[in-house]
Amino acid sequence: MDERLEKALDFSNYMLTLNNQKRLLAQKYQEELIHFYDGSQFTVTRELITFVSAMVSVNQDEVVITDDNNIPCQVEELENFYSEIINKYTTASNDYYSSYLKLKTSRSVEKLVNHEQ
Amino acid sequence: MSNKGVFLIARNNGHIDYVKQAVFLAKRIKRHLGVPVSVATDSVDYLVDTFGTDDFDKIISLEFTNDTNLRYFFDGSLSKKTASFKNSNRAGVYDLTPYDETIIMDTDYVVSNDLLKNCFESGSDFMIYKESDDIAKVRNEKEFKTISDTSVDFYWATVIYFRKTEANSIFFNLVKHIEQEWNHYRRVYQITSGLFRNDFAFSIAIHIMNGFQPGTFAQQLPGSMMYTVDRDILWNLNNDEMTFLVEKKNYLGEYTALKTSGQTIHVMNKQSLNRMIDQEFANE
Repeated sequence: MDERLEKALDFSNYMLTLNNQKRLLAQKYQEELIHFYDGSQFTVTRELITFVSAMVSVNQDEVVITDDNNIPCQVEELENFYSEIINKYTTASNDYYSSYLKLKTSRSVEKLVNHEQ
Repeated sequence: MSNKGVFLIARNNGHIDYVKQAVFLAKRIKRHLGVPVSVATDSVDYLVDTFGTDDFDKIISLEFTNDTNLRYFFDGSLSKKTASFKNSNRAGVYDLTPYDETIIMDTDYVVSNDLLKNCFESGSDFMIYKESDDIAKVRNEKEFKTISDTSVDFYWATVIYFRKTEANSIFFNLVKHIEQEWNHYRRVYQITSGLFRNDFAFSIAIHIMNGFQPGTFAQQLPGSMMYTVDRDILWNLNNDEMTFLVEKKNYLGEYTALKTSGQTIHVMNKQSLNRMIDQEFANE
């Protein structure tokens, strides 16, 4: 096989694996963003954080929020809820970031599938 | 307070050791979800003599039957066996389970995180996966979106959470009825294959329970159902890390390596899963 093609195919295989690992990491991140409160499921998004922050800033103690299944949930002790979702978001995001950095610096297929996530 | 747990069904078919998978899965469920596990099997003696009873809360005996529901079991792209697919009894779980709140799970569902334990705190009485992701992402996933080209939404019977309620009793009885009258229902719902599949029966039952339209009888379980098909190979299993060789698109017998960590995966290649379980049990 032409050496140029061989190198291109090696790189192509590496990119395929890299993209797969990135996708799996992103899926894991989405799972780790899920927060459960009083039987309801919330994926913690920047929008949710901003909304809850806004409600806290106008001294609301409780608020109704629709969860991932579009079911309304009465959230009480809003400040605690705010702390919980901030904690969930930062922990999941930091894990995602550090795993992504490891992935980015893995320069072979072997390293990509052997790295610690 | 209601009692809760996970319920497994393990019926060996001469080629695949589902009992071994159930023992393996029970250990992982206890570690990640922290709830008791019960199993229903037609091989109680084999289970007790070979693996003991420590991993299970209750062992329920099922009558042995020789099912004629045959299908291929692939082990990667290039190897396959034909064996019976003993998938009846799924709807009977409602009566068999000793728990008020039950997660029924296939034995090839490799639990690797604690996401599902939140079901027990959920406000929903019935949860199932509709959204799914093929970890390879090179295949057409249409067959897991609707039960046929012209039919209703597809739901995975691989994992189901339910409480014992009147509505759920009606639902599981409906699934039994659909199973008994399968040839009728598969024609009504335009399913071309004659093979009975629990996924299809549960999807049809959900459609009926919703008033023959999309609805809210079934809520989505946390996250999404991640799976690999039996053309892929589970190559390595180390605690919660799994390495797969996933089939390359249009290159029969060629694979791409892929690693997951802390992600629960439905491993449909049961033969490669059993090889990994053998290795894990040998190391214990």
